[in-house]
Amino acid sequence: MSQTKIKCDATGEDLAFNPMEYLREGLFPHFLCPGCGHGIALRAMVWAVHELGIDKNKLAIVCGIGCSGRLGAYVDANTFHTTHGRPLAYATGLKLARPDLHVIVITGDGDCLAIGGNHLIHASRRNLDITCLMLNNEVYGMTGGQVSPTTSADRYTTTTPLGNTEAVFDACKLAEAAGASFVGRELTIQTPSLKNMIRDAIKHKGFSFVEIMSDCTEVFGRKNDLGNSAEMILTQKSTMRPDSYGGNIVDEPFRPNFLPTGVLAQTDRAEYGETYRAAHRAKGSAK
Amino acid sequence: MNKMTSSSEPKNVLIVGVGGQGVILVSKILATLCQQQGFQVKQSEVHGMAKRGGGVFSHVRFGESVWSPTIPKGGADILVALEWAEALRWVNFLKPNDGTFISDTQHIVPPFACLSRKRSAEVGYSRETPDEILAHINDGYAMDATGIARELGNDRAANTVLLGVLSTALEFQADDWRNVISSFVPPKTIDINMKAFDQGRDWALKVKDSPDDAARHLRSEHAVPTVPTKAPYDAHDFVHLDINPAWCKSCDICVKMCPERCLQLDENLKAILSAPDRCTGCRICEWLCPDLAITVYRTPEAAAACA
Repeated sequence: MSQTKIKCDATGEDLAFNPMEYLREGLFPHFLCPGCGHGIALRAMVWAVHELGIDKNKLAIVCGIGCSGRLGAYVDANTFHTTHGRPLAYATGLKLARPDLHVIVITGDGDCLAIGGNHLIHASRRNLDITCLMLNNEVYGMTGGQVSPTTSADRYTTTTPLGNTEAVFDACKLAEAAGASFVGRELTIQTPSLKNMIRDAIKHKGFSFVEIMSDCTEVFGRKNDLGNSAEMILTQKSTMRPDSYGGNIVDEPFRPNFLPTGVLAQTDRAEYGETYRAAHRAKGSAK
Repeated sequence: MNKMTSSSEPKNVLIVGVGGQGVILVSKILATLCQQQGFQVKQSEVHGMAKRGGGVFSHVRFGESVWSPTIPKGGADILVALEWAEALRWVNFLKPNDGTFISDTQHIVPPFACLSRKRSAEVGYSRETPDEILAHINDGYAMDATGIARELGNDRAANTVLLGVLSTALEFQADDWRNVISSFVPPKTIDINMKAFDQGRDWALKVKDSPDDAARHLRSEHAVPTVPTKAPYDAHDFVHLDINPAWCKSCDICVKMCPERCLQLDENLKAILSAPDRCTGCRICEWLCPDLAITVYRTPEAAAACA
């Protein structure tokens, strides 16, 4: 990975970063609702790409369907807008055919866990060098606010008028159990930490899964009386705690929506693309 | 009973410092020692803010009979300070005419010493030199105890160095001090604490009868840490906030999250910088703007390049 020198001032701050260098400025303002955390995640992602000094021509963004799926269109790189739930499948093919590309998958909670749940576990199992950013806003925002696999307990959505009673998917535990070699979770309000986590995830050799806790103000927050977007992201900060506190307050009744943040798992498992090519070299191409 | 009880008045020792320095340990050692010598001891402390770098103080009173657990202003016989600014904060608790002042010259500058959050703002920390302070005090010792302890191999023994100085101001036997200290400090650090105690005691005995006030200030080869008068980055106060009204969707995040409250929504519900003089260029609005409509420039060159 080419690491370019970044111009910093005395505080170590990056002066050269302008997100518009990596975005299609003509498409702005973007289509997201006011206060949607996806925009913050988009900035964090291009910031991480800038820090790593990745050439735009060597960057591939693969997106599914949904609010998150639209983000790929705004990135000035090789972008791929795919079918619902299948961005990881497309990305697997892309990465195997073009191992020189940095493949980043932007997907949503419904896209990744419900429609594409099987693709997530198999992508984690193969451990191909893909970065999967799952933007979790707890709801299907684009289609009108239906319940998603990550909707917290007792939340109202258009399909749960009595409050959600389904058990919640912990996406990070799922990815870790399925074999992803880098698993992390971060909030949008902690933008520099989020940027660092995405940067580490891109640098990591193997399947890296980052769950970004986004907020859906218009569809989800309004229905649940969670306040405006500033209040929503502050509530996220106060209800989810760093992993170091995890063991103590996970069962605390006052934090029903507790989720640990930070890097939750990191292993050095063999990367699928390399093992596949090694096998190919050893046994010859079968044609 | 000890000879020191000749006066029926109890002896007041005030120990102050910053959280984590060992103020409570010092006061426990002193209180235990006084108890062993047959005195009545009362000790009270406040350490609630310590975790946030706040001040810790502990009152120790001992004598034939002690009633109140706290020391009034102007009533302390001895002030032991483990940090320089705390020393100055409490110096008015010393008895004006016969108090003894013992302080470490170590500076621990708290984050809130910088009253303005602007870049390159001045740091408001005590500017008085130890010599200036000692000149106003009846009997004072200022020393770089942390530097001494660091040379012995552990910064945290600084409080024992000061105990060594304190031991010369009270009439207990040095061996009694050593016994109590050894029973309180972690077993692995007994050696280093004994050395620290001896160094502090030897130095204080040496300068005790010196007529020169300045001699009571131990600089020697230990550099006294200086406080930067300016924040450590380049002094340019330039902050320019660029808000693109065409992209702003009035989500209010920047207005609500700005720590200086310098943004607001105008009549068209677009974010504007309403108080540019308060803006510190912290970039929180830029990072949290979901519409990427805000750009913060912190150098004139950056603003010119992106304008």
